[in-house]
Amino acid sequence: MLTLMSLLLFLLVLTNLTLLGSSRLAFCIRIVALQGVVLGLIPLVGLQPLSLRHGLLSLTAIVLKGGVFPWLLLRSLRVARVKREVEPFIGFNVSLSIGFFALISSVVFASKLPFGGHKDTLIIALALFTMITGLLLLISRHKALSMVLGYLVLENGIYCLGTVVADHIPMVVEFGVLLDVWVAVFGMGIAMYQINREFDHTDVDRLTELRG
Amino acid sequence: MSGLLILFLLIPLVGIGALFFVRRGSVMFMLSLGAVLLDVLCLLVGISGLPTCLPMQTAGGWLYLDHLSAWHLLVMLLVFTAGSLFAPVYFRDDLGSGRLSLTAARRYNQLWLGSLWTMTLTLLANNIGLMWVGMEATTLVTAFLVSIYPKPAAIEAMWKYLIICSVGIAFAFIGTMLVAASLPATGEGSQQLFWTQLSVAGGYNLLLLKAAFLFSLVGFGTKAGLAPMHTWLPDAHSQAPGPVSAMFSGFMLNAALYCIMRHGAIVNHALGSDQFTSRLYIIFGLVSIVVSAAFIIYQHDIKRLLAYHSVEHLGIITLGLGLGPVGCFAALLHTLNHSLCKSLSFFAAGRLGQLYGSHEMGRIRGALHGAPLWGIALVGSLLALIGVAPFSIFISEYLLVKAGIDRQAIVALVIFLLGSGVVFVAALEHLIPMAWGTAGDLPEKRCSLSAVAVVVGLLGLLLFFGLYLPVPIQNFLTRAAALIGGLS
Repeated sequence: MLTLMSLLLFLLVLTNLTLLGSSRLAFCIRIVALQGVVLGLIPLVGLQPLSLRHGLLSLTAIVLKGGVFPWLLLRSLRVARVKREVEPFIGFNVSLSIGFFALISSVVFASKLPFGGHKDTLIIALALFTMITGLLLLISRHKALSMVLGYLVLENGIYCLGTVVADHIPMVVEFGVLLDVWVAVFGMGIAMYQINREFDHTDVDRLTELRG
Repeated sequence: MSGLLILFLLIPLVGIGALFFVRRGSVMFMLSLGAVLLDVLCLLVGISGLPTCLPMQTAGGWLYLDHLSAWHLLVMLLVFTAGSLFAPVYFRDDLGSGRLSLTAARRYNQLWLGSLWTMTLTLLANNIGLMWVGMEATTLVTAFLVSIYPKPAAIEAMWKYLIICSVGIAFAFIGTMLVAASLPATGEGSQQLFWTQLSVAGGYNLLLLKAAFLFSLVGFGTKAGLAPMHTWLPDAHSQAPGPVSAMFSGFMLNAALYCIMRHGAIVNHALGSDQFTSRLYIIFGLVSIVVSAAFIIYQHDIKRLLAYHSVEHLGIITLGLGLGPVGCFAALLHTLNHSLCKSLSFFAAGRLGQLYGSHEMGRIRGALHGAPLWGIALVGSLLALIGVAPFSIFISEYLLVKAGIDRQAIVALVIFLLGSGVVFVAALEHLIPMAWGTAGDLPEKRCSLSAVAVVVGLLGLLLFFGLYLPVPIQNFLTRAAALIGGLS
């Protein structure tokens, strides 16, 4: 079981770094989908014994994060007719370097946190790393769709952290899944549609009318 | 009695459903006013019995009402009543000329009642997870109220609002999660996250709980418009239609601050002292006051000016929360005063903006002469807003200063008074030409009865509470303030 877990955690790191370094949006959506599936599987592999609640939660996460969201995002990508993220505020190479630095800091930081049970320290570290990746994507990219992706990655990190630290109280992680569904898909999805209709583009940095 | 709590949640939903079957614009606005008034009726029925039966719970303890939430419920319903009365006045011309289509009018009213529902849920939720869900839902529902007129600037404001507040709300979720993480597993299930349990529980991991409060403060603080997380606020407030800006400023910010109060009470209880939370409240409060004072000087758009006033006043309320029981009392009183005052000023700004065809303060001249009703509303509310006696904001700010002297928070008080002084002068400089300058020709508009009722009612309440605070209200507020302190 340990090896399967290592594989999943390795995939989690890899998806984050890939996202920081790639510009093609359709590819990024698929990577986020893969990350969603990986996150759904982690509690299934890590927790012994399994309960019905965990099974359902994982299933929901996999279906939503790995299936429904990517499908909706790919659809809106076709509508918005954008292909790639060009020249983000923070370049791809710099993003990747920050990513590596964040990965190392997260591991060091997580080992100092006062969560009981040391076995999960690595998962907590990677959850933090995923959250930082999400925030980095959110602040550094131009396209509205990239920001939604960044938000989803941030959410993935929070979900992952929740399954480790708040698992002993029901209805916490479950509420977090709601956050995904509502904000990322309904809210930002409809908002992107409106921006697209009014402006003929989804470059968020070109929304500069309001200042001061 | 506890069935009332379910009614509060049911009425807006029924209203939203009924709106699907209405085919006339004016009827839609009447319908949402009716739903809000029904809520008010429930509260009035409840108030007669409230003192004896508070706190009360229902639905297996998931819904809960105590003095703190009842006070906020009252403020919320006042703001929504005023907003629902004003909305037909504000939208009448556009509805007549077809600039606001029937579909848009329906969507507006449904979202309006939707915001009422989500905020009611936030106030009534006992489980802090559910409270967070309510707060999150307000962002989604209200975002599309900002862009009800799909102008480019409005959509830009909506997008900023959505992104910044969603990230904020994600941080608040981390805070909620960390509260759960700081609890030992007792196998009680989700009841462990009930506020009624949390505020008496023991065995917390204090370090995690402190971290949780930081995340909640920053997360919900983003939604409450505390500086430096306030950047979405001037955009959203200035682009939203008048009644919506009033609701944002009058209650949505307070709802977010209410969540912070709940989290703060848990931390105070667990630590056995309010030192940790007080310090943070004071810092965030003062930063908001100073930042907004700096921005108020340079504003040229009236709604942005008012938006920065909101940052200032939310800062003042937060500062009050950090100044002990008297400070909490002043903060809660200030919540009511600010909400009344800000609703009125946004109504006036919205209507004057329509009449003058611009929100630029340079183009609004001689409003007292050109549009007397809204001119008086603007002058009255702005004077009240900057703390002129005998309006009620003066009283709550005076109480706050008193609380600060009791706690010997002299540095904080000096910064507060300097900030308010700057705001006072800057706001007057903006106000005087708008009110007394020479007016151009304005299209003649008659004032409807509901417009007069809103202005007179709100100004009257501001004056009334400035001159006299009835003893039952004082007692009620003392009980509510004790809940924020969390130290019994």
